[in-house]
Amino acid sequence: MEGLMGSYFTPAVPMDFGYNYRLGAYLERYLDGLKEKKILGVRCSGCGKVLVPPRMYCGGCRLRLEEWVELGTEGELVEFTVGHVSMSKGRLSQAEPFTIGLVRPDGAALPLLARIRGADPAALRPGMRMRAVWDPDAENEYLVLSHYEPA
Amino acid sequence: MDDKVAIVGIEYSQGDDLGLTRERLCFRTVRGVLDKLGIDRHAIDCFILASNDFLEGRTISNVFEDGPVGAYLKDETKVEMDGINAVVYGALRILEGNYDTAMVIAHSLCGHQVSPYLQVQYSLDPTYDRQLGLLNELSGAALQARAYLRSRGLDEGWLDRAAAAALANGAANDMVTRSLDGADESKVASSSYLYEPLREMHCYPPTDGACAIVLASAGRARELTDRPVWIRGFGSSIDSYYFAGRDLTRSASAADAARRAFAMAGISDPASEIGLAEVSDLFAYQAPLLAASMGLADADEAPRRFAEGGFGKDARLALNPSGGALSAHPVCATGAVRVAEAFRQLRGEAGAVQAGEPRLALAHGQDGLCLQQNTVVVLGI
Ligand SMILES: [Zn+2]
Repeated sequence: MEGLMGSYFTPAVPMDFGYNYRLGAYLERYLDGLKEKKILGVRCSGCGKVLVPPRMYCGGCRLRLEEWVELGTEGELVEFTVGHVSMSKGRLSQAEPFTIGLVRPDGAALPLLARIRGADPAALRPGMRMRAVWDPDAENEYLVLSHYEPA
Repeated sequence: MDDKVAIVGIEYSQGDDLGLTRERLCFRTVRGVLDKLGIDRHAIDCFILASNDFLEGRTISNVFEDGPVGAYLKDETKVEMDGINAVVYGALRILEGNYDTAMVIAHSLCGHQVSPYLQVQYSLDPTYDRQLGLLNELSGAALQARAYLRSRGLDEGWLDRAAAAALANGAANDMVTRSLDGADESKVASSSYLYEPLREMHCYPPTDGACAIVLASAGRARELTDRPVWIRGFGSSIDSYYFAGRDLTRSASAADAARRAFAMAGISDPASEIGLAEVSDLFAYQAPLLAASMGLADADEAPRRFAEGGFGKDARLALNPSGGALSAHPVCATGAVRVAEAFRQLRGEAGAVQAGEPRLALAHGQDGLCLQQNTVVVLGI
């Protein structure tokens, strides 16, 4: 029987649904902050860490986070990678090399993953000072904080 | 844990294209282990399937596999995770006393039929990471690889040698998808970049595969085989959902999972007591990272020793003599295959990849993005 299994595949069976997730108060306030060129985090009253993107609870302390903090628009590069492919719906496609990195905004305990531009990747080093570059007209409101570049 | 739950039989296959429907693959795998044990499906008290609805392309996909695996009108449940968690679930079901036998069957067909990256991509936070569009399994692994290399003072050439060492092990194993005869690191080094420093051959290959494992209570195990492999301990742990907040240079949750499994197994010095470890190393840097995190090897020494083949089948600790997940990664079945590889090593049935005569072995599985969730099972004879 198994020998009869030839190379018949079904035509592609696409599953392409739209979901409209409500973001909740914390991410909405974060995105509103970006429109004013502010990066907002929340401070934990237990460990004192400022978490970003903001969330309602500190996982480590299991405490509700209430204190909003405006973080620096500059920060330090923690780690980075140069992408040669992009991924969409699980599929890889070739891409012009682009750089993304983890940048820890001044005042935050955690880094943000962001696009890095205006720098030769060979010159990037962890600990480098970076500054946020804004794009108020970005269609994707998450990308109003467009990218970071060396400060 | 004393002699309470044993693994009595295994059957698995992996390949870049097994040329089978998922129903036929599941049937063939279950039939294989039942035939080895000389029993039929009525000797199995409960069935536990491990698969992923995203990879199957339909919801509650296990109901379509109940027939092929022989679970019709039987107690059947599903684990939407790596199959090593189904092994733990099976052990728990037997320990609770209601069942004497459990069949675990884990599978996916990511060789050609569906992208293996879907599962992780659609586990990301839809309100943040998926909107930003920068994080995926490969970009996350690249950041983890960089952080690991930097923390241990390694260069990209080390990644080539580590991948070549893993694939050289796979070359001796006729059960894998991708191998590298002669362990030619230049072949690895010339494969194309995906996300730097990771090249295509530093990353797991798309794989078809399935693995069936039969567990039994002590009394039933001795009826089914004269060489049961006992489950000595197990542990699971999960790290933060927020990738950017984790320490990427080690795996805190792998360490925690191993600590729990060792405590249950009565192991105080894993580095000297465990003779064989099979870990789910999806990327070339992960085997030594995991071995160090789980206390099996020194964090500074592990990467260099691994790349030099120092954890080979003749070493005191054999690490992934099968070639690991870098040689074949059938999503959902990979951790179960690690259990199966440990089973055949402990029974001395691993053929060309047999690593001495281990008495105590560790199997590891992971789920989520870059070692987010880890499960460890300790097996012994
Ligand atoms: Zn806290």
